[in-house]
Amino acid sequence: MTARKHQLAMVMDLNKCLGCHTCTVACKTLWSNGEGMDYMWFNTVNTMPGRGTPRDWEAMGGGFDARGNARPGRLPRRQEYGEAWKFNHDELYHGGNGDSRHLEIKGGTPEWGPNWDEDEGAGKFPNSYHFYLPRICNHCTHAACQAACPRQAIEKRESDGIVTVNEDRCRGYRFCQSACPYKKIYFNHQKKVAQKCIFCFPRIDEGVAPACARQCPGRLRFVGYRDDQNAPIYKLVDKWKVALPLHPEYGTEPNVFYVPPIGPASYGADGDIDESRPRVPDEYLVSLFGPKVLDALATVKAERERKRITGKSELMDLLIAYEWKSMFGGLDRDPSTVSVIQWTKKR
Amino acid sequence: MKAQYIRGASLDVLLDPDAAAWRSVKSATLPLSGTPSALQPTAAVRTEFPEGSIGAIKQVSVAIAHNGGELAFRLEWSDASAESGAGGQDDVGFPDAAAILLPVRPGAPLMTMGAPGQPVNAWYWRADENGTGRQVTAQGLGTTETIDRESVKCRGIHRQSEWAVVIARHLRVKGNQQVAQIDVGTGTAFSIAIWEGGHRERAGIKSFALGALEGWHPLTLNRSS
Repeated sequence: MTARKHQLAMVMDLNKCLGCHTCTVACKTLWSNGEGMDYMWFNTVNTMPGRGTPRDWEAMGGGFDARGNARPGRLPRRQEYGEAWKFNHDELYHGGNGDSRHLEIKGGTPEWGPNWDEDEGAGKFPNSYHFYLPRICNHCTHAACQAACPRQAIEKRESDGIVTVNEDRCRGYRFCQSACPYKKIYFNHQKKVAQKCIFCFPRIDEGVAPACARQCPGRLRFVGYRDDQNAPIYKLVDKWKVALPLHPEYGTEPNVFYVPPIGPASYGADGDIDESRPRVPDEYLVSLFGPKVLDALATVKAERERKRITGKSELMDLLIAYEWKSMFGGLDRDPSTVSVIQWTKKR
Repeated sequence: MKAQYIRGASLDVLLDPDAAAWRSVKSATLPLSGTPSALQPTAAVRTEFPEGSIGAIKQVSVAIAHNGGELAFRLEWSDASAESGAGGQDDVGFPDAAAILLPVRPGAPLMTMGAPGQPVNAWYWRADENGTGRQVTAQGLGTTETIDRESVKCRGIHRQSEWAVVIARHLRVKGNQQVAQIDVGTGTAFSIAIWEGGHRERAGIKSFALGALEGWHPLTLNRSS
């Protein structure tokens, strides 16, 4: 941790994500429905193993090497995000052609989109597998975007470590986009500035959790300050050590953490369930979350068993999230009681 | 160089790269250098653009004229493709661009884009905003600030693998200490920067004209033609 007062963080329990995209839509309707933002999804949910959003982002570089040097990165192409599709709504509703016309995509047939390979996953029947990976900006402690900007247009808020783009300072150079190894910065071609997830800071400032977390029907997103020892984030990340950053080797110290998916066991050749072989291969999870993921998985499994036998486990009670409001580290104010939440220049 | 006085030439005439008035103005070919990688403000920029990789445009032909009230630079350089940076709105595209740099007061350092208390003033054209120039000021690397989008006038034409761009402004503008105020008879100094969009050039990644006067090219203006 730096000298920053506090750092906001999020934990997502991948065992609970059902891939419904409510988070994505909550974010989209709140923040990225303005001019030039059609193709932007500050929140995405992708099927893993999969190519992700933008397509094959894990191979685009950026971040830092083991010695802390900037690792070369590249800009994603628009086709790698997938264009926002346009439909023939006008013709359909106002064209006067009755039932003879149907809903169609205007323009060329899309070849990729932000959730193109949904539910494909990997493995062979009957041992095929997949899980969902929701992603937002990681609001990194060592943010590569901030380090790359030649104009100090990217700021990390002193009070809570939220990373934001100062659109008055941004000149659209896009070094941040190449440098972010998670490819969670977008470029607005109309406004000619970079835009990204703001961790709903205008809500945070009013005591309201981010929309993606509050709207999640699966109760898988925990929110709070890293150093609040009485809140779930600290307990899951630091006490129980079951929540890990995605691709820690990128060197940016993310503040979004994931409880890894345990998944079912494999079927053996005889058709019986083989508890010794997990369906989601350990090595795949290690490639995403680093070697500590094996300890995290072991801890979650052991505590599941303890809960099953004794009915008591602090960790399982946390992850089950009996009390919905307890997931937000005190940021549990009802947003309907706040008069205005908007994208402001006060960053 | 000398800015040639063209009596009675309107701004509209000066802004036309093809205007007959420009035929009488002597041009000079200035060699351009890439900016040093080591001077780029962040490691990510230095990593993407190592030494020797900066500065795709190697020379520019320059003609300078004034009408007593406005000063115009006519630039011409070879560039096989016109990049507007907006092709398909792809994030990898950057616009071709050019700028005239002037010291606000004598002694402002060129290589660092000015310094605190020693501002420099850029008149900036870019292909995707053709017609609207930006009046920019800076007091050091990474400090450029757009002051207005009205006072700098530009017009660029791309044809036969060549850009011809005129960038102009009133010699004096009202009430701003951060921009160059130019007087006929006194003269000033200038440099030129060109960004090749197809080479992903933007920010400090550009070619610039290095002159004999602490990096600047001296510029004289008078009323004799």
